[in-house]
Amino acid sequence: MLACDPIRFAALVGWRIIADPAALDAAPWPVSTEPGTSRVVRISPDDVFLIGATEPSIPGDAHAIVTPEHGFSGATISATQLADIGLHHIEWAVPATRPALAQGQIAGVPAKLVLDADGTALLLVACAAQHELEERLNGVQA
Amino acid sequence: MSRVVYDGTPIEYEPGDTLAIAAVRAGQHPARGGTLCLEGDCGHCVAIVDGTPWVRTCQTPCTPGTVVTRHPNGSHPSPGGPEHHAQVTVRHRVADHVVIGNGRSGSAAAAAARAEGADVLVLDANDGNEVVAVFDGPTVIVRTADGIDHLHAHHITLATGAAEVQPVCPGNLLSGIYTPRAATRLRAAGIDLGNVVTVGHELVTLLGDGRVSSVELADGSVLPCDSVVVDLGSAPRDVLARMAPEVPVTIVGAAGEAHPLPPPPKEGFLCTCGKVTVEDLDGVWNKGFQELELVKRSSLCGVGTCQGGMCMPHLRSFVADRSGAVPEPFRARPAARQVSLAEAAAGFHIDTFRRTPLHAAHERLGANLSKFGGWSRPWNYGDPIEEYWAVREAVSLGDVSTLGKMIVSGPDVVEALERLYPNHVHDIKVGRSRYVINLSERGHVLDDGMICREGDDRFLLSFTSGGASVAEMWVRDWVETWGLKVHVLDRTVSHGAINVTGPLAGELLRRAGVAADDHPKFLQHRHLDVAGIPCHVMRLSFTGEASFELHHQIDRSAELWDTLMDLGRPLGVKPHGLQALFGLRLEKGHVIVGQDTELDSSPRRINMDWAVKLDKPQFLGRDALIRTAKLPDERRLFGFTMAGPAPLEGSVIRVNGDVVGHVTSSWNSPLFGHAVLLGWQKRMPHANVVEIDGREARVSPVPFYDPEGARARM
Repeated sequence: MLACDPIRFAALVGWRIIADPAALDAAPWPVSTEPGTSRVVRISPDDVFLIGATEPSIPGDAHAIVTPEHGFSGATISATQLADIGLHHIEWAVPATRPALAQGQIAGVPAKLVLDADGTALLLVACAAQHELEERLNGVQA
Repeated sequence: MSRVVYDGTPIEYEPGDTLAIAAVRAGQHPARGGTLCLEGDCGHCVAIVDGTPWVRTCQTPCTPGTVVTRHPNGSHPSPGGPEHHAQVTVRHRVADHVVIGNGRSGSAAAAAARAEGADVLVLDANDGNEVVAVFDGPTVIVRTADGIDHLHAHHITLATGAAEVQPVCPGNLLSGIYTPRAATRLRAAGIDLGNVVTVGHELVTLLGDGRVSSVELADGSVLPCDSVVVDLGSAPRDVLARMAPEVPVTIVGAAGEAHPLPPPPKEGFLCTCGKVTVEDLDGVWNKGFQELELVKRSSLCGVGTCQGGMCMPHLRSFVADRSGAVPEPFRARPAARQVSLAEAAAGFHIDTFRRTPLHAAHERLGANLSKFGGWSRPWNYGDPIEEYWAVREAVSLGDVSTLGKMIVSGPDVVEALERLYPNHVHDIKVGRSRYVINLSERGHVLDDGMICREGDDRFLLSFTSGGASVAEMWVRDWVETWGLKVHVLDRTVSHGAINVTGPLAGELLRRAGVAADDHPKFLQHRHLDVAGIPCHVMRLSFTGEASFELHHQIDRSAELWDTLMDLGRPLGVKPHGLQALFGLRLEKGHVIVGQDTELDSSPRRINMDWAVKLDKPQFLGRDALIRTAKLPDERRLFGFTMAGPAPLEGSVIRVNGDVVGHVTSSWNSPLFGHAVLLGWQKRMPHANVVEIDGREARVSPVPFYDPEGARARM
């Protein structure tokens, strides 16, 4: 159970793109009409989760998979919350550099941490496991 | 003066007393006997403290009103109720260098590491940081007043010193026996030990009734006494270093020094944790267990909570005496100290059980949810037989969101799938699908599912719910191994799926806005709006009835489900759970991989040769299938029928009294009025009549239901 404020997740809407890494590097990512609400999460060299934007095109890869993504929940967490989660629920070393992406089990649930330069982070978890992570972090029934 | 309660009797203690010292001060042994070290090394002072068993009283300060109860004589204490296993907080900490032990050598090691710029953490039980285990990682498990620390360290230095060797001789479980350091502590606490005899290796027997009263020495002399101090030297306190041999641990000070072994033990309790005597060791030695690890495992000497901390010198001396060679110490197992169940479990979680996007809908419908294949899934909604009849006679909805789903795309995708699957892939037309099995390189069935062709270079693959978790790894590994250009995206948790099944399934789809002409035919698939919700509609059948799987984005799942339930009400729609589904598919003879198959089941053994095309030049498992096809194979999965009640799954199948196999799936068929089963016969000749549960069962062709498959194509 966290000493800090409870973590609250919300479903994320976006696009999932699997394509050649070079094509993803060069892709012109669309942005949301609402400033600050869209972001590109590079999950792996060939895998992008584009949050809160219109459908992207990947001109460099004719076989790219571009599909709506509704499978993630996310929570923006403060530096304090991140430190608290790290202390009690993460058995691996959270990267010290920023920005960075870290992936692994948090409280025993597979999750991702998008670590931002300002010390905050976006905590991502599959919607199917959101209840487990929420319950384990907050110590209450989700 | 303050008091604690010891075995129901209030006893007084002095400031600074531990519970063990208070007991000795009151003329009692803190447990029921045995040499006291008062340094936390042995288990001779463990007792139940305020309801928590296995507490080392020599390490527990007295506080007013503490209730101590000695463990029951000759048996283990109860682990205590839930109140003694409250949640223990875990903290994960990271340090460059951990030094365990804050004595002279530990302090020196810490100073040297700090001088080199390392981030050093020094842990010592006397400072409230008791290290109880070291795991690979390395991870150091530390018990503190606030909970358990999981300390992730890059380097570990062990500076835990040496423990005093305790006597092994007749009478060594009497009270009134102390190590030299314990005697010093007791005297410092102002406790009068009376007439004290100090002995060393000349000790032969400790005499007395409950408490030592005299000592017999090697020269035959007998010395009367009130207390005995036994000075047998020291042994390295190295349990933590022996716990994770793969972890690089630097041992400094007395913990790393060579100490002479005591003389071979002749008689008495050698392992007081497990009450193992020298006679017991002789017994296992004479049976041929003549190596340290074998002696340990066969006698259980050294498997107690001190993990050889006390018995190791004597045990090594015993083996050296009989084998002529001094053995290396055995590996220690966590934990090095008694920990509570809550402390041992702290920070560990059971597996994650995922929920489908329809979880709330299932709960509203009163589903009995079970944990199945890593998911919470409806087992039934109260009446599985009613659910069954809804599928057979009307229409039913099933939540199949847990199925593995994967998009593959790329210029080499056909080549990759041809190599992955034993069935032909290149001739699947766009908009068509095909049932496939997945084989290992050894030709054993790993999983099964469907291939749906969406375009020339794009497919959707499905896998079983249980196989989904490894499907992506399986595909990616092989594609990368072959150097083929294929993109892979697992959609299992991003796409929901609802199976609309039953003779009125098409009618329900029509009411949901899909014109009959647009319905995909059997083994076709199409992207359609169902009740206004974009769906990838796949026509297949696991239940034996006409079925449409509606794959969709999970944010629309609940809406789609509720709409279909509303539209289907006049048709008698009901949801069905796994219980009905398993019966429905069994009547159809569909195997469940992992339930009806074994780890080495080949297609031939489960009668699925038809799903393998050996005319293909290459696919996983092909070589093994060709090789084994020439060999006789006794194992075969059969269908059986018998009068009800259906036997339990796992029931033994006998022929003429001999066990020949077991039942893998069993169901009382409401339609047939008798039981239908799948089960193995593993001995030739295969019998047509077998005995299950003492009753007759007959081999039957499968499918039991609709062998022509007409209903699935309705």
